[in-house]
Amino acid sequence: MRPNPNTLKIKALCVQVEGQELIHNLNLTIPEGEVHALLGPNGCGKTTLIMAIMGFPAYEVSQGQIFFEGRDITELGLTERARLGIGLTQQRPPTITGVRLQHIIDYVISNNPQRSDEIARLVSDFKMGPFLDRDIHAGLSGGEIKRAELFQLFVTHPRLALLDEPDSGIDMDALKLVGEMVNALLSKDPHRPAKRKTALIITHTNQILDYVPADKAHVMLDGRILCSGNPYIVINEIKQHGYEGCVTCLQAAKEIRS
Amino acid sequence: MKQLDFNDNQPEDSLNIDLGKYRAVPDTPSPALIAPGQVPPADARVMTRVGVSAAELERSATYIQEDFFPVCVAAHSEYLELLPIADALAKYDWLREKYYWQAVPANQDKYTAQASTVSEPQGYFIRVKAGAKIPYPVQACLYMTRGDIVQTVHNIVILEEGAELKLITGCTMRDGVRAGVHIGITESYVGINAKLTSTMVHSWSQETQVRPHSGTIVEAGGAYVENYCSLQPAKSVKTNPKTWLDGKGASAKYLTIILGSEGAAIDTGGEVYLNGKNTSAELAHRAVCTGGRINQTGLLVGSNVCRAHVDCAGMVVDARNDGFILSIPGLRSSHPEARMSHEASIGKIAPEQVEYLQSRGMDEREAISLIIRGFLGADVFGLGAELDARIEEIAELAGHGEA
Repeated sequence: MRPNPNTLKIKALCVQVEGQELIHNLNLTIPEGEVHALLGPNGCGKTTLIMAIMGFPAYEVSQGQIFFEGRDITELGLTERARLGIGLTQQRPPTITGVRLQHIIDYVISNNPQRSDEIARLVSDFKMGPFLDRDIHAGLSGGEIKRAELFQLFVTHPRLALLDEPDSGIDMDALKLVGEMVNALLSKDPHRPAKRKTALIITHTNQILDYVPADKAHVMLDGRILCSGNPYIVINEIKQHGYEGCVTCLQAAKEIRS
Repeated sequence: MKQLDFNDNQPEDSLNIDLGKYRAVPDTPSPALIAPGQVPPADARVMTRVGVSAAELERSATYIQEDFFPVCVAAHSEYLELLPIADALAKYDWLREKYYWQAVPANQDKYTAQASTVSEPQGYFIRVKAGAKIPYPVQACLYMTRGDIVQTVHNIVILEEGAELKLITGCTMRDGVRAGVHIGITESYVGINAKLTSTMVHSWSQETQVRPHSGTIVEAGGAYVENYCSLQPAKSVKTNPKTWLDGKGASAKYLTIILGSEGAAIDTGGEVYLNGKNTSAELAHRAVCTGGRINQTGLLVGSNVCRAHVDCAGMVVDARNDGFILSIPGLRSSHPEARMSHEASIGKIAPEQVEYLQSRGMDEREAISLIIRGFLGADVFGLGAELDARIEEIAELAGHGEA
């Protein structure tokens, strides 16, 4: 059977949080090997969307479907989706006292003993040694949290990476490190030379896109994707006119159509 | 509205033991001593659960007491003396004068009174000679094979100047024994610059009642580390180990882990008296409530330049049948340069933590187990299967409770 060309396909999705609908009738397709950027102002539903794709129980799909590599995963739980090959980095992950990054690495290695050397190399390449024996995210700076989160995606090796604002709340030095990590995470790997890792990157500031070129950009406003296209054009427009500019532009487009 | 009376926290009947109901005087002759390897396999398996290994591969000495009498007394280091306490008292006159009932007063309560009236005391005497660092731990098992008795144990541990010892004491009972009373007196003396790490693991049956009494005196530069883990709680446990940091720069560290269960009443304390200059103490209590009552207290008393911190943390997984955790960390200072602090927190397993680990591929049970294990700091104990099994049990309960 030919592998499905679309890693992620979302059809007419509505998502509720505590009974309130935050995502309305959303459609999104990410073909295998493409990196898409999800742009939009604060509170427009970007995080809600990726938490729902990952399957966090508080983000309830009230309508529509989510397909991963052609399989309907709408009814699957968080663990199953992670095991199928979806991984995410959270913007504000919880602190877990007593549980260390090393425990997560040990868990992955216990299921894939052959990856032990590779993971040891990753620890050294990304200078993660000092993080391993610290409680997860306890006392870490903004940049360190981003790095610890990204590092876990190197370890868990998902085929679809969902990155929630890897560039927010960090200084320029940290941004450089994080940018390089994201680039390495999504770059071509020797097993699939033609393609990058499929990813959806949420960004509010667009800074991460200076390090990781996106194939397509989507603009989200009020729980809907209202505009998609060439990231260079879309980002440039947003830089010049802000998201208010998007509203005006969409309004104009609507008037032309009518 | 029902009010909580502070004295109601532990019902009188569960904490006050009627000692008259239990046999205190041996009704069997003292058995011949055997080697640890000769312990019957069924008993040896039970002992493994509390960290006592019959194979002794990584142990420096073994003391096993069964009910009223010692059955194994084996030391494998020339720097270490291990004797039944009765033999040590006969051998050394100074023991009675300087150490016996000096760190735990004989008249402290009715349990110490009971222990002090026993005609031939049982328990272990351990002495580590000056400067000796004993490589492998010494292990002791206080074992009960019948439920109609009160087992009384009186231990004395002496570390001479610069000595180091790790001591593992496992207290448990033969499978199928339901009741019984265990009174344990342990007096430890940590000499100048000596270090004693005492790890105590308890696993009891539902009707057992347990009253450990410990007192430790630490001299200048000495360090005392006490780890206490209650795997399978008894009907009632009440313990309040006390440490006196008398010498300059002496330190104490306690880690107490309580895994509660329905019907059990557990009251664990810990008092450290920081008398010497530049002494320091750190008390950490961790409790998981799955029903039953858990009191965790800790009192630090600073009377010199010192640093001390007490931290009580509880996790309520299931509070069936009026279960609870009561945390009371306490401080008393009588010196302007005593720097002392405390904290207490009680919570549940946070769903966002479980979900975070699930998003890395763990299932709910695996995530909860890892969180509980981390919360307890359980890695300290190096206990394998038994601790894992108990944590799994609690994880199972947590997974099916309210999220």
